[in-house]
Parts: sequence; C-alpha cells; structure tokens
Amino acid sequence: MSPLPETSLRFAGLSRRFGRLAVLDGVSGAVAPGEVLLVTGPNGSGKSTLLRCLSGLLAPDAGDILYREDGVTLEPAERRRRVGLVAPDLAFYADLTVEENLDFFSRLRRVAPARGRELLRRLGLPPDRMAGALSSGMRQRLRWAWALLHRPRLLLLDEPFQNFDAAGEQAVRELLAEHLVAAGLAVVANPGTLEIDRVAASLRLGD
Amino acid sequence: MKTFLPWLLWLWMCAVLVGAFLYAPPAAGFAEGESSRILFFHVPMAWVSLLAFVAAAVWSVRYLYRGRDPRHDRAAAVAVQLGLIFGVLATVTGAIWANVEWGTWWNWDPRQTSILLSMLFYAAYLALRSAIEDPQTRGRLSAVYALLGLVVTPFLFFIVPRITFSLHPDPVVNTQGKIEMESRMQQVLYASTIGFTALFFWVHNLQCRLQALIERQSEAGGSRS
Amino acid sequence: MWPQASAWATEAAAVFAKDWRSELRTRYALNTLALFAFTTLVVVSVSLGPLGVSESQGTAVLPVLLWLILLFAAAAGLPRSFVHEEETQTAIALRLAATPSALFCGKLAYCLTLVIALEALITPVFLAMMNLSVGAPLLLVLVLAAGGYGLAAGSTLVAAIIAQARGKGTLFSVLAFPVLLPLLLLAVELTRQAIGGDPAGVALTQLILYDATITVAALMLFPAVWNP
Repeated sequence: MSPLPETSLRFAGLSRRFGRLAVLDGVSGAVAPGEVLLVTGPNGSGKSTLLRCLSGLLAPDAGDILYREDGVTLEPAERRRRVGLVAPDLAFYADLTVEENLDFFSRLRRVAPARGRELLRRLGLPPDRMAGALSSGMRQRLRWAWALLHRPRLLLLDEPFQNFDAAGEQAVRELLAEHLVAAGLAVVANPGTLEIDRVAASLRLGD
Repeated sequence: MKTFLPWLLWLWMCAVLVGAFLYAPPAAGFAEGESSRILFFHVPMAWVSLLAFVAAAVWSVRYLYRGRDPRHDRAAAVAVQLGLIFGVLATVTGAIWANVEWGTWWNWDPRQTSILLSMLFYAAYLALRSAIEDPQTRGRLSAVYALLGLVVTPFLFFIVPRITFSLHPDPVVNTQGKIEMESRMQQVLYASTIGFTALFFWVHNLQCRLQALIERQSEAGGSRS
Repeated sequence: MWPQASAWATEAAAVFAKDWRSELRTRYALNTLALFAFTTLVVVSVSLGPLGVSESQGTAVLPVLLWLILLFAAAAGLPRSFVHEEETQTAIALRLAATPSALFCGKLAYCLTLVIALEALITPVFLAMMNLSVGAPLLLVLVLAAGGYGLAAGSTLVAAIIAQARGKGTLFSVLAFPVLLPLLLLAVELTRQAIGGDPAGVALTQLILYDATITVAALMLFPAVWNP
C-alpha cells in the first residue's frame, strides 16, 4: 500500500441533502499534485455542491474530506483559507474599484498588494473600474485574480471559463498550466466546451 | 418499565392535586386563604419554564460543539416550546392570583416581570427558527441564539428587581419568597415541583419522538415521489 | 506571537476601512440613520416641547425617548453591515478569506463608529430641544459611550445571525430586543441619574459588566454563526 502523498485531496462518502432532495449521495474521489479531477454530470447532479463542500463553504451531512499540504492535514477552517475557488456566484464589492477589491483581500490574506497588481496585469483587468460596472467576462477574470491571489495549492473551479473571450481564455489557461506545473491540485466542474489538459481522473455524478 | 412510568406520574399528579386542595391548609395572612392553593401550581410551572431554558441551552451546546447531531437541535427547540407554554401558564396563574390577592392583574412584581421579559427570548428563538429553511443553518443559528439568551437573561434578574422596587415601593413586598410555609404546604409544593419537572421531561420526550417520526415520514414521502 | 497579532489587527482594520469606504460612497447607512433620527427628534420635540414638560416629568420620560430613538435608529441602519454582504453574495469571498474574529471586530468597530456618530448628532439637539440641563455631564458621556458600545456589539452579532435568515427587517428587531433589553434598562436609569445630577449607582458597574459579557459571548459565538 503506497503511503499518502505529502499534498493531496481525498474525499469519501460525501452526502448532502437540501430539504428532501439528496443532492450528493456517497461521492468519493481523490486528486494528487499536478493533476486535475474533472467532475462531470447533468444539470442538478451536485457538481457545484461538491465543490462547495470541498472548499469548506458547505458542511456535508456525511462523509470525510482529507486535505493534506506538505504532510499536514488541514482542518476545515484552515482548508477554507487555503483553497482558491472560482464559482459563478462569487461576487465582489460593487462600490469599490477592481484594485481596491484586490487590495482589501490582499490585506485579509496577508499577501503583498504587488501580487494583486501583477494578476490584474496578466488578466488584463482595468484597475480603476468599479467592480459593479464590469462586464460578465471581466467579472470572471476578476474571480480568477481573486482565487489566485494567495497562491493556493488547491484550485476548485466551477464554470471557470464562462463568458470568456479568446484573450481571457488564453490568460487563464496559462495560469492554470503554471499552477499544475508547480505541483498544484485542481478540481474542475462545468468547463464548458473547453479541453482541459492533465485530467488524471473523471468523476461522474448524478446518474 | 417504560409504560409504567407515565402511570406513576399520573398517580403522582393526582396525589398532588388532592394534597393541594385537601391536605394542605390555606395559607395564613392571605386575602383569600384558599387562593394560596394556586401557588402549588404556579411556582412549579415558573420553575419548569426556567429549567426548560437551561435545558435548551445545554442541548444547544451539545449540538454546536459535539457533532451537530440533529437530535440535539430538536431537543433544544422542543424545550423552548415547552418553556414558553409553561411560562405563559405561570404568568397567567400568577396574574389570577395577584388579582385575587391585591385586586390588580399586574403589579410589577420583580419575579413576574423578569420571567415575562425572559419569555421574549423564547418567542424570538422560535421566530428565528421559522425564518430559516436549511436544517443545518437553522440548528446552528438557533443554538447560538439560545446561548446568547442564557448569557443575557441573568442580567434581567438583577436589574428588574431594583427598578421595579424603586418605581413601586409597594408595602406588600414580594410575598412568594416570604410565605411562612407550614410543613404540609412545603410537602405539597415540593411534590408538585417534582411532578411538574417529570411532566416536562416526559412531554419533551414524547414531542421529540413525534417530531422525529414526522420528519422521517416527510423524507420518505419525498423520495417516493 | 506579535506578527500574528499585528496581522490580525491589519485584517480587522481592513474590514473597517472597506466598510467605511463603501459607506462614504453610497451614504446608505448614514442617510438612513440621520433621516430616522431627525424625524423622531422632530416628532418628540414638537409634541412635547410646546407642552412645557415639567422638570420631574422630563427627567422621568425623556431618557426613555432618547434611548428608544437610538435603539430604533440602530435597528434601521446597523444590520446592513452583514445583511448586505449576504444579499450581494460578497459573503462567499469573505468566508474564504477572512479570519472570523478579525471580521467581527472590524464590523463591530464600523457599527460602533456609526452609533457614536448618531449619539453625537442626536443628544445635543435632543437636550436643546427639550430644554434639559444635565446635572452630571461626565456621567452622561460615560453612559452614552458604554451604552452605545453595548448597542453596537449586540446589534452586530444579531445582524450576523439574521443575515442568513429570511424576513431580515422585522426579524432583527424581534431578536435584538430581548438581547438589548438589559442594556436599555440600565442606560435609561443611568441617563436619568445623569440628568438629575445624582451619582451613578451600581447600575454603571452592571452596564460595563453587560458590555464585557456581550463582547466575550459574541467573540466566542461568532465563528459558529459565520462558518457553516
């Protein structure tokens, strides 16, 4: 039996119901560094719910999530702060500019503001535009900038490429590739029509 | 054994009733001596109401910090419901007695006022529960509120007496604590308190089981459709 | 330990600054509080002023009115600190990025500054309109500070709770009132003493004790409110 890798994500028997509806029912999977776990399934099969459970935003009714970084198992509170999440309902402060938003989260995450500026540049985001006045494609780029701000080891990507034009898509592809090359982990759901490289495993939900 | 206990409780309460009306003498120094008999029911009910709140807080702690078991959440909610019912009954019986004794339904007696004010918490707790759909969120937030209530209510019991006393320096001092109680009255009072406490836990147990059954049935009904 | 503490303080300060930056741009809470306070002040003073409230009546009744105005203004303007985050879904990002205790303290500081601004605005106008002379002004300042703090702390915690429920407007008042009741009773009693020029009784100690209790309870309970 091979030993547990130093950094890995494993989950087993995850269940979650909303009211009477069992959205997740005994879901299991694993991801290792440099790999992508692709989660597929029809609408309403629980893909987004799974990612929320993995991020720590939602507590599952049953099952275990084991996330290790460098040999240390992280508690949900820690895990919440370490992951990078891109999700369609992620929103930012409409009355603050893009740069002010990232500066705020930089201070929360104890990261130098220069990192935020660099991501803005790479993703082609206008720093002085009010976050409430962004187009949907720009909003999606901001979500990626926010997710990568603190250099997370685990990326949870739900509908990560929606609303992108060619430039945006190219930018995040590069960022994702860099993340994986640097031994990061990724779980992707709803990639749309895009091809993802380095998919090590596929998890199908909701049949 | 389990079916024996409710019958024992029934017998016990019958004995308490008999004791309250036939065995204990009417209290001396009361406007209408016989009216003192209401205290054998009023005092235990007030006690049970407070006990219910503490019990709800204990179950809330268990829910929050010992594994988020839905049974603990259910137990806390049922305790608050019962606490509210007993609290209302205690207030009403108190008001009835106050009317007989002093001619007014409400006279700002400190203990009465404190209990009434703390019942605001019970009602608010239930309002909070009805405003949240997701069971996990509901359990979590109402547990927090129950604990907040537990921490804040003691202040009422310190503040209110000082305020009501200064506003209404009634020559008739709070008589509930200062009744010279004959031993027979004491016996009936203690017996009644024990009986009401047992009644609380029995009804609590029944209500929890009933709610669990209802929940299970509605889940089963959902998955079948 | 110190780098940790200063990082925590930076987080709380960041939340405080972010809330105020947003507030100064939209003026939502400031407008709500000011409008509410002004309206109630006018109603109270126009109905009572011309009647010529006697001094004993004034000392008995007016502190109650002052604190009621503060309470209802707070209920109108403070819950937004958390409700807005949930409604605009910025709470998702905040949950993943912020340390709960730092977040709570930042929000508390924001609500506290709002309450103090409100008190500073209302109290002098209230006293002037009602022709009240304050016997013990230092005590009054103390009561406003300690009472205002308790009001902010209790309101912030309850706001965090109801932000995740439905019926947020009325539900806030229903939940907050029992929690804030001891505070209000004590504050009214002490305000009365301040106006009358009496020395503060045991009520001041109890008020400060209440403030301490609410703070500790909130810091301990907030993670359970905020995290799933």
